[in-house]
Amino acid sequence: MIKQRSNWELIKNGIFGENTIFRMAISLCPSIAVTTGIRNAFYMGIAVIFVQVMVNVSVSAIRKIIHPRIRIPIFMLIIAGWVSVIDMTMAAFARPAYKEIGLYIQLIVAFASIFARAEVFASKNKMTSSAMDGLGMGIGFLVALVLIGFFRELLGKGALWGMPIIHSKPMLIMIMPTGGFFAVGFLMAFFNWIDIKFFGGKGASGV
Amino acid sequence: MTAKDMISIMFNLTVLYLIGGLILAGVYAKTSPIMYQNELKEKQEALKEVMPQADEMVKLGEWAPHHKHAEYFEGERGAEKLGYVVQGFGKGYSSYINLFVAVDKDFVVRNVKILHHAETPGLGDEIMNESFTDQFKGKTLDHLVVVKRETDKDIQAITGATISSRAVTEGVREGVKMIMEKMSGEVKE
Repeated sequence: MIKQRSNWELIKNGIFGENTIFRMAISLCPSIAVTTGIRNAFYMGIAVIFVQVMVNVSVSAIRKIIHPRIRIPIFMLIIAGWVSVIDMTMAAFARPAYKEIGLYIQLIVAFASIFARAEVFASKNKMTSSAMDGLGMGIGFLVALVLIGFFRELLGKGALWGMPIIHSKPMLIMIMPTGGFFAVGFLMAFFNWIDIKFFGGKGASGV
Repeated sequence: MTAKDMISIMFNLTVLYLIGGLILAGVYAKTSPIMYQNELKEKQEALKEVMPQADEMVKLGEWAPHHKHAEYFEGERGAEKLGYVVQGFGKGYSSYINLFVAVDKDFVVRNVKILHHAETPGLGDEIMNESFTDQFKGKTLDHLVVVKRETDKDIQAITGATISSRAVTEGVREGVKMIMEKMSGEVKE
């Protein structure tokens, strides 16, 4: 049995210790696809928080009655269900945002990070801990996306949250997928550097 | 695998599909009327936006650019006929661009509005900007061509989004051409 951790520790773990993008380096596809602007990144993060929490709670609630052989299809089913719920809700009530990121909302189904938390954490822990873990992971994901979006939008478009800041495009490449990889790579290196330098960690690779 | 396993698996899946189906059906029932209303409202608003002077839009007919369903309208103010609004499609970089183009009675473009597209975010989606769509105002059919240099006469492509710019222009051009042919064919009174 895993040592019991407090709720706050679980949330912090999601944001810093096991940050989906900068520490675990999973779900990198959305981190590049939706981070062309902070606004899109923010809405995407909100959707992911919802799905992650709901999936974790559902998986945790039924963890004792699932037959281990079919747990993976069942996780997929639960994830797909909650993604459809947020997809329809956003289409109805957050129309302007949905018009821009609607395509990517449906892609949450295939996020490795959500599946990973269901398998690694929620299927072995109580409902409250699972909800907290989902919340932390979701917030960590949102923070990471907004950070990447900040640099890409500022450098690639000269704007923030859709508002022009500088009237030029300093680095057009940042807005393209290539620039997304650059941004993720540099930020990941930066967080590793902080971890190693100030906290005596080992970096994301663990060596 | 024993019989007990199989029953347990069957039970698991049936129950989960039922619960999932119920939740989805509930959410869909709540949201789908709103979604439908939103889409209808958006189209109405877009129609009004491309031809603000008109107080009534009369649907004239349908046509099929790129084998898609599209409509065209006539804008009227009282008894006066102001011009036409045509829904057009252009084949872009990663999607079909759905747009409205408003022309006056002499088939000069008055306004262009993009309804829907799925071009590259950050590059192709700049076709939504007014700085791009405003270029179409006052253009006649001959000048609906894309060039890559600065121009007042033609349509200037967006940096990094030439294909999307061309697609919008193509959608507009085809729409204007269609309405010209239709209207000169059906000789007016």
